[in-house]
Amino acid sequence: MQEHLQSLLEARIDFEGQRLVGQIVQLSLVAITIISFLLGFALQSLRVTFVTFGLSTAVLAVVVLPPWPMYNRHPVQFLPPKENKVKEGSRDTLAVPS
Amino acid sequence: MHSLYSRFNNATAFLSSCLMALLAAIALSSFLFTADPKGDIAIGSIQVLPGNARRYANKRQEFAFVNFNVTADLTSLFNWNTKQLFLYVSAEYTNQQGVANEVVIWDQIVHREEDARISVAGRNKYHFRELSASFRDVSPAFYTLKYNVMPYVGVLTYGEAARTPNPVPFPEQQQLS
Repeated sequence: MQEHLQSLLEARIDFEGQRLVGQIVQLSLVAITIISFLLGFALQSLRVTFVTFGLSTAVLAVVVLPPWPMYNRHPVQFLPPKENKVKEGSRDTLAVPS
Repeated sequence: MHSLYSRFNNATAFLSSCLMALLAAIALSSFLFTADPKGDIAIGSIQVLPGNARRYANKRQEFAFVNFNVTADLTSLFNWNTKQLFLYVSAEYTNQQGVANEVVIWDQIVHREEDARISVAGRNKYHFRELSASFRDVSPAFYTLKYNVMPYVGVLTYGEAARTPNPVPFPEQQQLS
């Protein structure tokens, strides 16, 4: 139960997902800033600027923060564990002094 | 970025940078608006009357009473980054010691663009006194209407909307009957 809750709170994504999230955050925040400035300047209203900025940032948070399946499409492939690793190691340590 | 907290941290760190850039851009955009409205100020009458100084009851002092008319259309000063205007009428004169004085005798705050067409027949709101207690031998005074634009984000800017074409001399002290 606790593990389940922890993984839910951590909301892990894979490495490709991390790269994607980073790109989305940077591009869209720059775009949001520019667009909200231009929109407010065109309409001569600071309220338009900050409402646009705030709402689109909230949308961005919904897109980026939860572990959507699109961020988990490239799970890390681990190599299969070696069965005889302990035996080989012990043989090696024996082999070195001789 | 792998966990929710690191994603949140990463996004909000860049968000704060973007917000700073946005605020800086808004502050700089104020310099694109270079309105310099002009109005009129006319002095109706000036009286100089004796009175008691506020702090020392037995010290005699002269008070000037200025009636003035101010008309100006300052709506062009309102842009998207203007919070309010501070208008003030000041008297500029040189006193007996040769010190240039600027005394604010009236002011008004304009919150809205609709209220920025001002037409005021007013009298000085604040005591108009000379530091030497007398307006005798004081140079004639220019009266000016000045404004201070207060933005939501950015720097305060000052300007002068009107100035009396000629300096107005102070009259002799009147005796209270």
